[in-house]
Amino acid sequence: MKAWVINFSLNHAKRVYLLMAIVSLGLAAFIPTIQIDTDPENMLPDDQPDRVFHNQVKQEFALHDAIVVGMVNDESIYNTDSLSAIHQLSNKILTIDGVVNPDVMSLSVVDNIEQTGEGSIRFEYMMKNPPSSESEAAEIQQNVADLPLLLDTLVSGDGKAASIYVPIKDKNESYRISQAIQQHIDALNTDDQFHITGLPVAEDTFGYEMFVQMGISAPLAAAVIFLLLLFFFRNLTIVIAPMIIAMATVLSTMGLLIACGFKVHIMSSMIAIFLMPIAVVDSVHVMSEFADRFKPGADVKQVVKDVISHLFRPMLFTSITSTAGFASLALTPIPPVQIFGVFVGFGILLAFIWTILFMPAYISRMSEKQLKALQAKLHGDQQSLIARFIPKLGLFSTSWSKAIVIAFMTVLAFSIVGIEKIQINDNPVRWFKQDHRIRIADRVLNDHFAGTYDAFLVLSHTKGTAYATELLQRLTDVTEQLEDSSLKSKLTTLLNNTSEQTFNASEFIAVIDDAFFAEEPVAAEAVDAGLLEQAMSLLEQYQSETQYFTQPETLQYMASLQQALNKSGVVGKSNSVVDLVKTVNRELFSGEQKDFVLPDSQAGVAQTLLQYQSSHRPQDLWHMVNPSYSRAVVWLQLTSGDNQDMLTVMDTVDAFTKQNPLPEGMSLKWAGKTYINVVWQDAMVSGMLDSLISAFIVVFIMMVILFRSIIFGLMAMLPLSLTITFIYGLIGWVGKDYDMPIAVLSALTLGLSVDFAIHFIDRTRSIYAKTGDFYKTIQLMFEEPGRAITRNAIVIAIGFTPLLFAPLVPYITVGIFLATIMTVSALVTLLMLPAIFNLGKSKFFPKQQDNQNNEFK
Amino acid sequence: MNLNNLICKGSLIIAVALFVVVTSAYASETEGLTAATIVNKSNLASYYAGTDGRSDARMKIVDSQDRVQYRQFVMLRKNQQENMKQHFLVVFSRPTDVRDTVFLVDKKPQSDDDRWLYLPGLDLVKRISSGDKRTSFVGSNFYYEDVSGRSPLLDNHELINQDEENYYLKHTPKSPETVEFAYYSSTINKQTFLPMHVIYYDSNDKPLRTMEVNQVKIIESFPTVTEATLTDHRLNGHTLIQFRFMDYNLGIPEQVFSERSLRNPPDKWLQRTQ
Repeated sequence: MKAWVINFSLNHAKRVYLLMAIVSLGLAAFIPTIQIDTDPENMLPDDQPDRVFHNQVKQEFALHDAIVVGMVNDESIYNTDSLSAIHQLSNKILTIDGVVNPDVMSLSVVDNIEQTGEGSIRFEYMMKNPPSSESEAAEIQQNVADLPLLLDTLVSGDGKAASIYVPIKDKNESYRISQAIQQHIDALNTDDQFHITGLPVAEDTFGYEMFVQMGISAPLAAAVIFLLLLFFFRNLTIVIAPMIIAMATVLSTMGLLIACGFKVHIMSSMIAIFLMPIAVVDSVHVMSEFADRFKPGADVKQVVKDVISHLFRPMLFTSITSTAGFASLALTPIPPVQIFGVFVGFGILLAFIWTILFMPAYISRMSEKQLKALQAKLHGDQQSLIARFIPKLGLFSTSWSKAIVIAFMTVLAFSIVGIEKIQINDNPVRWFKQDHRIRIADRVLNDHFAGTYDAFLVLSHTKGTAYATELLQRLTDVTEQLEDSSLKSKLTTLLNNTSEQTFNASEFIAVIDDAFFAEEPVAAEAVDAGLLEQAMSLLEQYQSETQYFTQPETLQYMASLQQALNKSGVVGKSNSVVDLVKTVNRELFSGEQKDFVLPDSQAGVAQTLLQYQSSHRPQDLWHMVNPSYSRAVVWLQLTSGDNQDMLTVMDTVDAFTKQNPLPEGMSLKWAGKTYINVVWQDAMVSGMLDSLISAFIVVFIMMVILFRSIIFGLMAMLPLSLTITFIYGLIGWVGKDYDMPIAVLSALTLGLSVDFAIHFIDRTRSIYAKTGDFYKTIQLMFEEPGRAITRNAIVIAIGFTPLLFAPLVPYITVGIFLATIMTVSALVTLLMLPAIFNLGKSKFFPKQQDNQNNEFK
Repeated sequence: MNLNNLICKGSLIIAVALFVVVTSAYASETEGLTAATIVNKSNLASYYAGTDGRSDARMKIVDSQDRVQYRQFVMLRKNQQENMKQHFLVVFSRPTDVRDTVFLVDKKPQSDDDRWLYLPGLDLVKRISSGDKRTSFVGSNFYYEDVSGRSPLLDNHELINQDEENYYLKHTPKSPETVEFAYYSSTINKQTFLPMHVIYYDSNDKPLRTMEVNQVKIIESFPTVTEATLTDHRLNGHTLIQFRFMDYNLGIPEQVFSERSLRNPPDKWLQRTQ
């Protein structure tokens, strides 16, 4: 098989080229249909329960994604100019297509409820028209200060910032809409500063920056690798070969990903830059080996054949182990990470196949002159920095073996302590750089307001079914006595289609009510009328008892929960129907703080709410409670979107419910993007551990098979284990948050650093088999093999550095850590393995009786 | 030739235009009604039938998610002699938890209405400052002004068209800053003078709200709306209102419409009379 492939490549070069071109261009043809996905919610599968619930809540309470426009005036926004600017801008925003107009929140469209002179109450627009005098502006300030639902949400507590919440129908439109808003802002005649933020804007901008990354960083990586290879091999013709392989691999992989219908997420946008350096690694081995073996006048094809047969096994194994490392990401419960892992894995295997097929064809078709030049130049390499440094490393590792092992053990101990310190934390806004306008807006607005990050505490109530069963029985009894046959059959049908679980009192009330309101209504004196009235009163009683979130005791519980949250200092502010009821109640009575309380009866609450519904925006009520009053939402505003902070909030709620158990029948669940982030972060950490462990086991088994030795299998796992521990220890010590890109690193480290160990052990054993002398072996190891490993480490490490120039933080993180990982794992391999071999040489390399018979193949 | 052509076409256009003006002037003369008159008659037909009246009313409020709420109330009305003034008393019976909530309104088209409110759950009588009348009527898609009637004095009226059955009018507010719409159009039935179709538009000619009468019945010789729908296009919701057990010219005494009735609803007049 191996021989057939090589022969095919050598004898049918043109067919190989054609095949490669067809596959690559065929798959690349799908790339223009690329779709970007920037929604952090997609870190969870569609059917993940928390995500499903989150969307259900969003739908039920009409909580649209919103663009937040912030305005800051260093003195105060309560002046005629600033308020006029808000008024003007709000009006303009209402004309933008795609904005959910009735839900826009701004001083100019929300209601004020207040007492007027003669002890009457009034609902009116807070700022129907811009104030014409400073005293009118001051009056608005007074009014806002009185309304807890607006203060610190629409105007900051310090009065220096105001906001406009612009809910949008489709978040994919947020770029166009925020551009339109920006245009209107530019047209304003004001000195106030404006900021546009909100999750939809962040996501959209992120998508844009992702394209920039792919358009700039990936070609830049290609350029860096090209220059690096040119530096190592000093021959343009041969260096083009790995570049072709890298291009073909990247284009095919991205093309296939898009052709499969996957959207390009932040993770998959990194595929190109990941594959580029990895794809050239195999060809680097082939080229090094070829340059080493080729002597002028030799049969090129034969040399190529030898090189490929010699490298086939280690290359296959390193490709498979790297693939295993990446493919293990498929075990994480996070779809974008799964896709990333699987496709990088695919790309690595593809790169291996192209290397085996393409390199022999390409090299064998190079001219004699070029081959000579290549050979001559590479031998000059003997005196290069690497060539001079590497043998010293070898000497050092054997003469200071104990010290090296002790040093690594110490590092290991420190690393383990560091791992304990790791903070799991992520916040998609932090994916932008510190000076990005979105980060600035985020900082400024959260500085002034109670917070632009949302979390929703969803309280639901389910009435026991026993009550419904009893009621249904009584309704059946009443129905049977009815005289009007059409009404009777209508109710019977409804009863037959209703179970205790699906029972909805309003449905029955509607049918009975229809009877009274029919063209020919049930006569008041008829028998049926009495029966229906009886049924109606039962239903109404049931309904008011199940309208749970109008009951004062329930609202009182919510109030104390909110109070606990507000006091804990972990939330900027909490908003719920409780605040609304208290505010209306206060204005219905004296308008003074003493009446900022809940009414003491359910009817009182219901009537207060009826008053609220007589405003300009009755629909606002349904953002806080559902129309059947069986579910309510407490909207928490947080000044930080960090998982850690969200977790503190959740802990505070847990502590509260532990001390004050939820009333019977009430359940509490979380929704909101900030919470969703916590969920996928959590899933990521445990998922990563699973993926790491399984990849570790798979790779270990492969190593045992490759080396046909458990002890060498263990040795092969040593450098990567040390590297992973060290990297995560470093992350802990440095205080870098464990976020998504960091989590993915473990799999990458595993897949990439095992390569060095494979090559090192394989070559050590084969050289030892020939020489039979340990010290001689080590000395030889730090010639060509040591150089090859170092060269590859440098190619990959430097190949990733263009990520440092990426506009988004996760890319930078990955760039820095990958460079570190490559350096560390190459160092560990080159220092630790020979040191351990040295210390246990009697065990690893028992004195051979007869060198000739024991040659390792 | 070009000039000839132009003159020829021009004169033709002028002739047609003149014809239209003359005939329409003749038509409106024979009909004898100006826009203002139509609107006044319509206002009377819609809100002033008889000297007084009662009606049961039910509202079915359906939101964009098809969630339904009901409101049920009895409305008593009495016209006053001068200035188109009226008394209204609205007593709620459903949902149960707002039962016996009462609104009392002294409608004064020339000035601000006087409004009172009684909330039994809080045992509270409160005056509602008139202010803006274009707020929701108890959470429905109807506005307070849709229920009590918008004074014809607030708009400029234009007769746009008419046919066998209807007048078609356009109404433009005199103080546009006080309302949410830019103008509204109405279709007024020539027989009954009831507005059958009213559409409120914003300044981009996009419809904001549509009121449609679904059913009219003659009750005690008065054409009476018994069912109408108000659709709010922005909120994507609608409210169906139905009237039953209407009765006119009952002789409801003036004192029924006093603050006393807030806490003590006048059962005698609230009961169905049929």
